Amino acid sequence: MALANSIVRRQRLPRWMRGWRIIPVIALSLIFVFPFVIMLSTAFKEVGDIFSSPPTLLPTNWTLNNFAEAFDQIPFVRYLANTLFISGMSVLGTIVSCPLVAYALAKVRWRGSRPLLIIVLLTMMLPPQVTLIPVFLIWNGLGAVGTYLPLIVPAFLGTPFLIFMIRQFLLSIPDELIEAARIDGASEFRTYFSIVLPIARPAIVTAAIFQFVWSWTDFLNPLIYLGDPDQYTLSIGLYSFFGENDVAWGPLMAACVMFTLPALIIFLIGQRFFIGGLSAGALK
Amino acid sequence: MHVPPRTRRRYGVAVGAIAGAVALVLAGCSAPASSGPEEITFSYLWGGAEAEAIEAIIADFNASQDEIVVSGISSPDFQKQLTSLSASKGSFDISDHFGNAVGSWASKGILEPLDDYLDENGVDPAEFAPAAIEQLSYDDKIYSLPIAVHTFQLLYNKTLLAEAGVEVPSTMDELAAAIKATTKVGADGTITQLGLGDPSPSTTITTLGYAFGGDWDKDGAPSPTDSGNEKALQWYVDNVVTPVGADKLAQFKSGVGEYMSPQDPFYTGKYAFVIDGEWRALNIPTTAPELDWGVTSIPYVSSALADTTQLTVSTLFIPANSQHKEAAAKFLSYLVSDDGATAFSLALGNLPAKLSLVGSSAYDDIPEFSVWLNALAGDNVHALSSAPYSAEYSTDLGLAFDDVITGASTPEEALQKVQDNSSNYATD
Amino acid sequence: MRGMTTRRRQALTGLAFAAPFIFGFVIFFAYPVAASGFYSFTDFNLFQAPEFVGLDNYARMATDERFWIALTNTLLLTITGVPISIIIAIAGAHLLNLPVRGQPLFRALVYLPSIVPVVVGGYLWRWLLNTEYGFINYFLSLIGIDGPGWLVEPEWTKPAIVIMSLWTVGGTMIIYLAALKDVPRDLYEAAALDGAGWWSRFVHITWPTISPVTLFQVIVNVIAFLQIFTQPYLLAQTRLNNAGSGPGQSMLTYAMYLFQNAFSFLKMGYASAMAWVLFLITLVITLVILVSSRKWVHDGSR
Repeated sequence: MALANSIVRRQRLPRWMRGWRIIPVIALSLIFVFPFVIMLSTAFKEVGDIFSSPPTLLPTNWTLNNFAEAFDQIPFVRYLANTLFISGMSVLGTIVSCPLVAYALAKVRWRGSRPLLIIVLLTMMLPPQVTLIPVFLIWNGLGAVGTYLPLIVPAFLGTPFLIFMIRQFLLSIPDELIEAARIDGASEFRTYFSIVLPIARPAIVTAAIFQFVWSWTDFLNPLIYLGDPDQYTLSIGLYSFFGENDVAWGPLMAACVMFTLPALIIFLIGQRFFIGGLSAGALK
Repeated sequence: MHVPPRTRRRYGVAVGAIAGAVALVLAGCSAPASSGPEEITFSYLWGGAEAEAIEAIIADFNASQDEIVVSGISSPDFQKQLTSLSASKGSFDISDHFGNAVGSWASKGILEPLDDYLDENGVDPAEFAPAAIEQLSYDDKIYSLPIAVHTFQLLYNKTLLAEAGVEVPSTMDELAAAIKATTKVGADGTITQLGLGDPSPSTTITTLGYAFGGDWDKDGAPSPTDSGNEKALQWYVDNVVTPVGADKLAQFKSGVGEYMSPQDPFYTGKYAFVIDGEWRALNIPTTAPELDWGVTSIPYVSSALADTTQLTVSTLFIPANSQHKEAAAKFLSYLVSDDGATAFSLALGNLPAKLSLVGSSAYDDIPEFSVWLNALAGDNVHALSSAPYSAEYSTDLGLAFDDVITGASTPEEALQKVQDNSSNYATD
Repeated sequence: MRGMTTRRRQALTGLAFAAPFIFGFVIFFAYPVAASGFYSFTDFNLFQAPEFVGLDNYARMATDERFWIALTNTLLLTITGVPISIIIAIAGAHLLNLPVRGQPLFRALVYLPSIVPVVVGGYLWRWLLNTEYGFINYFLSLIGIDGPGWLVEPEWTKPAIVIMSLWTVGGTMIIYLAALKDVPRDLYEAAALDGAGWWSRFVHITWPTISPVTLFQVIVNVIAFLQIFTQPYLLAQTRLNNAGSGPGQSMLTYAMYLFQNAFSFLKMGYASAMAWVLFLITLVITLVILVSSRKWVHDGSR
């Protein structure tokens, strides 16, 4: 009786108290977002306003100068187009290759699947510095330095982290579905393409989002491999706000805000799949 | 045989990639030179406002003749420069770097020796500051030309000096007294004003080392424990660190504004003296126009060592893997001609490297610039060696100075440690 | 294909599907790893032919003071950073799982820092951690705390690095959120009926169910911290491209020292040797974690 009462009591919290739960959530997101808020507010501040002691949050005079200067300083649209191209192609490569390999690891019953899994894990553990120079020398030997190839081709060959993530998801797909298709005489690839891929869509979309964000913010690879400034990406473009002895904070923050927006939009759109997909038994 | 679509797709990708690569290689070995002007690429480390100024100079050069067209790229990252130098075909034909790397790069064969090109284009090395040319030579060949040089002098805040009732110092002892008078400490020991600030401890201390008669390189090897160096470091500890305490000093420096911004500690009256380079003369009128400041030679310990200064050099070089060396050399000669060098140095706010420009009226508008400029012609101008070990050596020196300033080590121990470690340095 | 055994056919299928990865593996992993292994036994300055020196590089590591400082710093960062990251990620995931309005927005905000390019993040945090002009100490002062010199006091630089890397823990949080949604509701209700409090529910239901995810995240985060480079590199810079190691070298991480050897000192051989040692250390630690996982990871057989 006491137990039933306590349950009932728990459900009868006064209305005003039920809303309290949102407070810690707001607090959490505020903590993560405040550096971004500062970035945003700096983008609208005048030069003299940016550094003050004690620091101020809101601009004293709002100005759009920084955005104008950012557009002036770097060929924003061209860089944006380049970055979109590279990110888009990388995403394409990812959604083509990663599910393929993940399928080999999750649903094809062959003796190589165990060793392959270990190899995938091994490659994740490798410090990138180990391969940085030899990989560069390979591309150099192929004459591909100064082109987009070194930035796009690797995505078509699979990324260990994403392969692993999709693999975990695929594991949760009931084997019966696949068996049924096989018994019906469908080829392995037909099974993969028509049955498994649609079910795995949330995980693939998730992988695509991760890949997009990685390519979008990648700095080191475009820096090393791109020669012609016409090919530069946005992240390299940000560099031009760093003078030898000073940083043009206003325009830099403005450029940053513009840089972040597309990636943010993609994330908001894909978020539905992102979390929903990950949660459907994905990470066993 | 039925080839499944996936295999076909994969073949497609593979063929596409190979075709792409082949196309690129072929494009690289392009058709024989067309009859238009030769195009060369000038990749420079400068960015922001300096980059704009350089582009203007490039435009001038392009307009002045029709054989060569220079296109400039602002590429502020060193790693990028290195990767290009290691490629079989360089992505640029002329670039800039700092003098102290010349020995290291020259010994690895990635720089093109310039002596012949200089002869062809009528450029005489003797026109440049001797210390600069020495740093840029390796194995008796010249591998770079100085495009902008920097000397270091003692800047002071006139208002703060007047407040403390101090005259502009000319000897080290006077400077020590002046520092004491202009360092202000609150009741709890927190510093509110520091006599001698250090925008770059390494530069400050190495310059002081020369001023005390020391030398950081002797006979092609590092000489950190030279007695002049030790005296300088000890002097610094005694006059700047110990009186206020290493902890308080670190605390004070953690809250200073960004270098050369309106919140720069020298501009906001937090430092009374700094030892710094000539670019300040151009920065102050625009960034801190109300500052009442002056600059004087680095104080001397003895008259023989008067007007000591340290020289650092920004250089131009032609990579060994350039495909347009002749054209690059022509552009190089333009940049170091009197006109080119004046334009360049004015654009960057640095000193020209040519002795003939000392005293030139082109710099009259820049307040106090002559103090730095005239120092170029002095006898006591020193530059750190550019031998292949220079990168490791400067890192180790920086760490040693850091240890001493934070009170973790005595000057003698710290410098000895560097000496001991120097046996591990690369020799080529 | 008649006449081929099923096993053989399956093997070919597996290979076919995995082909892109295998191709990439050979070219971009196996070969470079072998190459760098080779370089680690040489003196190589990138521009001239490598010179064989045997085990010299490895011997040098044993007596190189900066190597040990870098290694210690990195291990300290890992030991503190990983648990804190996981704890905050789990706690945050619980918050993001609460039935309140606007959760999609909050989730996006928490993930937002991961979208900011690291270079900018680095400079931004350098500014935020400035004792005079930065917001961190300002906010601390508002609640009466005198903030430390984050980037100048050796004891505080590592916390500064950890704080900066925690800023991007949103990704981990989101993954945990997905995992939380996976826990069967009825388990919770049964426990509530039994009178279990929230902590007990967490320990006995939530934690075991998400433990496979935790295993994955621990491994991934350990690897990330062992290789941490960009954050400390940017925080320790004195000016643009003026690499520093922080006060008393407290910010020198393994990857930073490796990078310096490779690109500043042009000692590729030594850097390759360092890279290999790091790889081996990572392998060992991961193996230990995997072996220990039998004790604390439940794989769904409840």
